[in-house]
Amino acid sequence: SLAGIMLLEVFLLLGTVIIYFLLSKKKEETLPFKEGWWGKGQKPDTEEDTTIWPFKVETTEEELSDLFRRLDQARFTEPLENSCFHYGTNSVYLRKVVSYWKNQFNWKKQVEVLNKYPQFKTKIQGIDIHFVHIKPPRLPEGQSAKPLLMVHGWPGSFYEFYKIIPLLTDPASHGLSDEHVFEVICPSIPGYGFSEAPHKKDFNSVSAASIFYELMLRLGFNEFYAQGGDWGWLICTNLAQIAPNHMKGLHLNLASVTNMGFVHLLSVLLGRYLPGLFGFQDEDVKRMFPFLKKGLYRILLESGYAHIQATKPDTVGCGLNDSPVGLAAYILEKFSTWTDTEFRDLEDGGLERKFNLDDLLTNIMIYWVSGCIVSSMRFYKENLQKGIGTQKHERLTVQVPTGIASFPHEVMHTPQAWAQKKYTNIVSFHFMPRGGHFAALEEPELLAEDILQFVGKVEKEQLWRKK
Amino acid sequence: ESILSQIRSFEYSQKNAVLVSVAALGVGGMLVYWLRSRDKIKTIEMGDGWWGSGERPLKGKEDESIRPFKIETSDKEIEDLHRRLEQARYAPQLEGAAFHYGFNSSYLQKVVAYWRNQFDWRKQVKVLNKYPHFQTTIEGIDIHFIHVKPSYIPHGRAVQPLLMVHGWPGSFYEFYKIIPLLTEPARHGLNEGDTVFEVICPSIPGYGFSEAPHQKGFDTIATARIFHKLMNRLGFKEYYLQGGDWGSRITMNMAQMLPQSVKGLHLNLVFVSRQGLRRMISVMLGAYVPWLVGLTREDVRRTYPFIQKNIYELLRESGYLHIQATKPDTAGCGLNDSPVGLAAYILEKFSTWTDKSFLHKDDGGLESKYSLDELLTNVMIYWVTSSIVSSMRFYKENISKDPGLTADARVGVYVPTGIAAFPQELVHTPRVWAKEIFKNIITYSYMPRGGHFAAFEEPKLLAQDIMHFVRKVEQL
Repeated sequence: SLAGIMLLEVFLLLGTVIIYFLLSKKKEETLPFKEGWWGKGQKPDTEEDTTIWPFKVETTEEELSDLFRRLDQARFTEPLENSCFHYGTNSVYLRKVVSYWKNQFNWKKQVEVLNKYPQFKTKIQGIDIHFVHIKPPRLPEGQSAKPLLMVHGWPGSFYEFYKIIPLLTDPASHGLSDEHVFEVICPSIPGYGFSEAPHKKDFNSVSAASIFYELMLRLGFNEFYAQGGDWGWLICTNLAQIAPNHMKGLHLNLASVTNMGFVHLLSVLLGRYLPGLFGFQDEDVKRMFPFLKKGLYRILLESGYAHIQATKPDTVGCGLNDSPVGLAAYILEKFSTWTDTEFRDLEDGGLERKFNLDDLLTNIMIYWVSGCIVSSMRFYKENLQKGIGTQKHERLTVQVPTGIASFPHEVMHTPQAWAQKKYTNIVSFHFMPRGGHFAALEEPELLAEDILQFVGKVEKEQLWRKK
Repeated sequence: ESILSQIRSFEYSQKNAVLVSVAALGVGGMLVYWLRSRDKIKTIEMGDGWWGSGERPLKGKEDESIRPFKIETSDKEIEDLHRRLEQARYAPQLEGAAFHYGFNSSYLQKVVAYWRNQFDWRKQVKVLNKYPHFQTTIEGIDIHFIHVKPSYIPHGRAVQPLLMVHGWPGSFYEFYKIIPLLTEPARHGLNEGDTVFEVICPSIPGYGFSEAPHQKGFDTIATARIFHKLMNRLGFKEYYLQGGDWGSRITMNMAQMLPQSVKGLHLNLVFVSRQGLRRMISVMLGAYVPWLVGLTREDVRRTYPFIQKNIYELLRESGYLHIQATKPDTAGCGLNDSPVGLAAYILEKFSTWTDKSFLHKDDGGLESKYSLDELLTNVMIYWVTSSIVSSMRFYKENISKDPGLTADARVGVYVPTGIAAFPQELVHTPRVWAKEIFKNIITYSYMPRGGHFAAFEEPKLLAQDIMHFVRKVEQL
C-alpha cells in the first residue's frame, strides 16, 4: 500500500541519517604512543643510553674541495625559450646561484652561524636525535621560560628557525612584549639533517611525534607548547593527540584537512555563492576561489614531487645525493613556488626577493653534508603510501588549544570552517597579511607575534587546565 | 461499398504509415551515414612548426640534405664518466626494502662497479655504429635516425618500409635485436611469409642524438608530422609503423594525420582514454559477466582486480610521470649531472615495467631479462647526449592539456591496426575498449610473456607478431 511504502521510505531515510551521524561522530580517543626501534639490526637487550651530549656542526677541507669539484663539473641544460620557472628551476638562474656558491658563499662561516645556538644529541628508540636548545638570555622578574618545541618540514631544517628564535627567547630586545618568554627546542626529524635516519621501514609522523614526546620528557618538560608547519604541522598535531595532557597549546602555520567528505565537496561547489552557509569568510573566498585554478589545478601542478617521493624515494633521491647542483635545483624550486606561486612567471623565481642566498644555501648544505636527502624523502612514503585520509590518526580530533596563522601564499588555503572540524579548540585563527609556506624563515616577526598572542590567550584563560 | 471504402481508407492509412516509417528510416539512415562519414573523413591537421632557436628564418629553404652520422666518444668523455662513478655517494637502503622504495642502493653499487670496471663504452659505440646512422634538419632541428636495409632480398619478395618509434626511457637502441629479425627473417628462423622490411628508427627530438626543440609546445603531433616529413624525404609514400610507449602515441597520431600514407599500424601499447560512463559500467559488469561487455577470459585475468591493477598500481608507478609532466627541468637537473642517479632512475623502469613482481627482488630482477651491457648502453645514450631533461619535457608538452580536448582524442584510427598485448605491460587494454578508437583492428594477440620494453626483451615474439599482422594486411 502507498502508506506502507511511504513509511518504509521514512524509515530508510531516518536510518541513513542516524547511521551517517553515528559514523561521522569524530572520536575523542587519544592516539597511542608508538613504540619502535629504528637502529641497525636487532634491538639490543641492554637499556637504552639516555645521556644527552653536546654537538657541534663541523666541516673539513676535504668536504669543501669535494663540493667545489662537483660544482665545477656541473652539467646544465638550457631552458626552453620564455619558460621562466614553469618547467621547474630555470638553469640560467641556477648557474648564477652555483657561481655564488663557489665564489662567495662561505661554508665555514655558515657553520659558525649554525653553531651559535647550543646543539645536542641523544639516543631515542635506537637512533641519535639532534636538536637545538636555546634558553632565554635574561628573564623578567618572577617569570619562568615556557618550553616551546618547534618542528620543521621538507625541504627545510632546524635552520629555518634561526631568525625567529631570538624573537621568542628575547622578545624585549626585538621590540616585542616580554609577557611570555620561551626556551626553544628545535629537533631535526629523524632522517633529516643531523638526526640519524631510521634503518627500519614504517617510520611515520606518529613515530616522530612519539620520539619528540620522549625528548621533551627527557629534557624534563612536563608541559610545553608546540609549533609547526609542513611535516612539523602533522608531527605536532600527532603529538597533541598522543599527549594532550602535556601540551599546553598547539600553534600551526599550516592546517591541512585530509579527511575530506561530502560536505567539503559541496562547499567547494557552492561556497563561492553561499559562503555564509559553509562558514566561509570573505578572505577565505578570496583565497580559495576560483577553486579549479587555486585548488585542484594548483595541487596537481605542484604535487609531482610528493607523488614520486611517496612511491620511489630511493630512486628520485639517488642523483640528488650525488649532485649538489641537482639537489639545489630541487630544493630551491620549492622555496620559490611555495613562497608565491606567481614567482613561476619570473626568470629568477623571485628567490632573492624574500630570502638571501646564504640562508638558502645553508639549508641546502645541511642536506648535502649529512647526505640525508633520500631518508628525508622516505618520510613521504611512510606517511602517504596508503593514500591521503586513510590513517587512523587522520580521523581523530585535537582538543588541545590551537592557534592557526594562515599565510596568504600557502599552496592551498584551509578555511577555519574546515579546520575546526579537526581542531575542536581553536583559540585564535588569523589571516596573515603576507608570507608563504616557509613562514618562520620568510616572515619571522609576523609568525612570532602570532605565537605570542596565541600563548597570551592560552595562559590568560588558563585554557590548558580546562580539559 | 462502405465496406470497400473502409478497406480502401484502411489500406491508405496503412500505406501512409508504411511510407512515413520508410521515409523516416531513410532519412535517419542517411543522417547516420552522413554523421559517420563525417567521422571517417576527419583527420588531424598537419600544421607546421619551427623548433630551432630564435626566430624562424624568413628567407631561404631548409637544408634538406641527409647526412651520414657516426657516434663518437673521446678519452675525455670516458675519464669524466669514470671520475663521477668513482665519487658517487650512496644512501644506505632500509632493511628489507628490496625495490619497494625505488632502486636498491646496494645493488646499484654493484651495477656501478661493473660500469666502472668492465663496461667498455668504446666497444659499445662500435656496436651502435654497426647500423648506418644519419641526420637531417626538419623544422629547424636535426633529426637523427638509423636506416637499415636488408643485405639481400630473396627473389620475388617485396621490401616494406617500417618506421619504428621508441619511448621513454628508451631509445633507438631498443630495436637493435629486433632489426635483424625484420630485415633478414629467414636467417633467424622466421620464415613468416613474403615480407622483408627496411627499418627506419628515428630518435624523438629531445632524445639521444636528435636535437632538442628550443621552443615550447613540442608534442606527439609535432613529432608525428616531423616523422612523416622524414619518410617523405627518404622517398617513401606508403609505409608501416610500429610503436610502444611514446612511440605508440606518435605512430597513432601519424595514422590519424595522414592515413593514406600508413599501410598498417602495429602497437605493443595502446593509449585509450579511460573516461566515460559507458567504460565504468563495462568495468563494473566485466567483473561478473565479462562476455556481456566483450571481455575475454584473458582480458579479465589481466584487468581485474580493477582497483588494484588499474588504480592502485598505476598510482604507485606514476610518480615519475607526475613530476616530469609538471617540473621536468627540476627532475632532470641532478640526473644530468650524476650518471649514477641517471642509471638508478632509468633502470628502475627497466625493472618494474618488465615484471611487476621484480619489486620484491633485491636486485630488481634486471639481469634475468637483460644484460648489463645493453642496459648501460641505453643509459649512456642519455648521458653522452645530455638529453634527460629534454626527454622529460616531452611529458609536460603532452600531458598538461586536458586529455579530452586534444585533437587526437576525437579522431578515430582507420588504418589497419595490429595490437600485441604483452602480459606484464603496465596497463592492459582489451580489444573491445581499443575498438573505440581503432576502428580497423586486423590482429589482436595475447602475447605469452614480456612486459613494456617488448622489442628489447622479447624481440622474436614481437617480430613474429609484426610479420603475422603485415601478412594479413597485404592479403586484404
